[in-house]
Amino acid sequence: MPRLVRWIWIVLALHLTLGMIAYAHFLVTGQYTVLGLYFSALGTPFFLVMTSTECCVAIICRSWFDSDEPMRLAWGMIACAALARLAGVLLRAVSDGHLPWGGWRHFSLPPGSLFANLSQLALVIGGPLSMAFLAVGLSQVLRIQRRFRLVGSLTRGDKTLLFLVVAFSISQLAINLPLLAKYPSLGTILLWMSDPLLSILLIEAILVRRSVIRMGQGLVAKCWGMFVLAIVITSIGDAAIWADNHGFLSSSMTALSWYIWFVAAAAFASAPAYQLAAISLTRGENLHLLEKQ
Amino acid sequence: MNLLGKWHPGFWKRKLQAAPGRDVHFEAAPASGLDDLQMRLNQWSDLWGQDADPAIRTAAQELVAERLTRWIERCFGQHVESSLRGKGRPISLASSTPIFTAFLGRRATRELSRRVLQDI
Repeated sequence: MPRLVRWIWIVLALHLTLGMIAYAHFLVTGQYTVLGLYFSALGTPFFLVMTSTECCVAIICRSWFDSDEPMRLAWGMIACAALARLAGVLLRAVSDGHLPWGGWRHFSLPPGSLFANLSQLALVIGGPLSMAFLAVGLSQVLRIQRRFRLVGSLTRGDKTLLFLVVAFSISQLAINLPLLAKYPSLGTILLWMSDPLLSILLIEAILVRRSVIRMGQGLVAKCWGMFVLAIVITSIGDAAIWADNHGFLSSSMTALSWYIWFVAAAAFASAPAYQLAAISLTRGENLHLLEKQ
Repeated sequence: MNLLGKWHPGFWKRKLQAAPGRDVHFEAAPASGLDDLQMRLNQWSDLWGQDADPAIRTAAQELVAERLTRWIERCFGQHVESSLRGKGRPISLASSTPIFTAFLGRRATRELSRRVLQDI
């Protein structure tokens, strides 16, 4: 495993260990004090570290492609997605006052603005905007993979999953569209795009997964495999939010579902780290990875 | 100086004409140098190409194929190598360079090719 990827997963493991202690405290006492402290004091810095790592590494990966190479656009879009996620985390931290160097609570949007509040703006930037960038990037990757005949045909399981995802998105749109009559803010409308965009990402993830299976266990294959994992985990997190909003989850299960986002952040950060490891291998770095086979 | 005049095609035509009375004389290269160059080009062509008959492959070709296989397995995976082998032909720089360039970039592929051809 490349050094940076190992580092990411070690940080995640340590973070989740502390998180489980906080969760155990919540289960025993039934109080959110320690759990809240964990998510605000450690959760926000964790997201900041992971998203900034992802963003920096994606920019480095992009710089390794010349302007006329198609993969440059893909990595550019992935870097934009990571940057949007980082901006979302920062804005969220500012609006919630979760930054360690705090005192930012006083920032608020002027009345009558397009977004209900700063937190909603953060959700739009870190959610639908980031997803849109990633969808464009992955579509470019799929185009390249198709050129090399790496994208395999879909199995029956893939088709079933695709059908469920599309059906869920349509049902969500059907619920949300009548609400347009109530003149919701632009931020709210943009947030409705989260589910369709996540569906597009899942469809792309299924296709990328097929190509990863066709490739094997190499560093580039693992890079795209990590994106698939991150998208699937994001979808599970999204489904957990939906289930919680509809009262399908107990309070203990809801609290547990919040940890999903840390795993998704680590998977998103690992993807460009694998690509960078493959590139640095050609430069004579990490040659031990070449020996271990 | 009339800068706009430089956009006129006539300006460039005039510039491109050879200056009179300044003929360039090329010295004939020594025959040994040309032979050496020809040998290098042939060697490079053998290493690059994929149409070599598997039965008459040289040790250098074997080594390049072996190194490329290891790089492909490490970068992409064990299944890609078989898809790059066309009609039972061994893997070569010609068959593997496009996929390396697409996924790792031109510069990284150049570095990789250097490593593959090292000491050959």
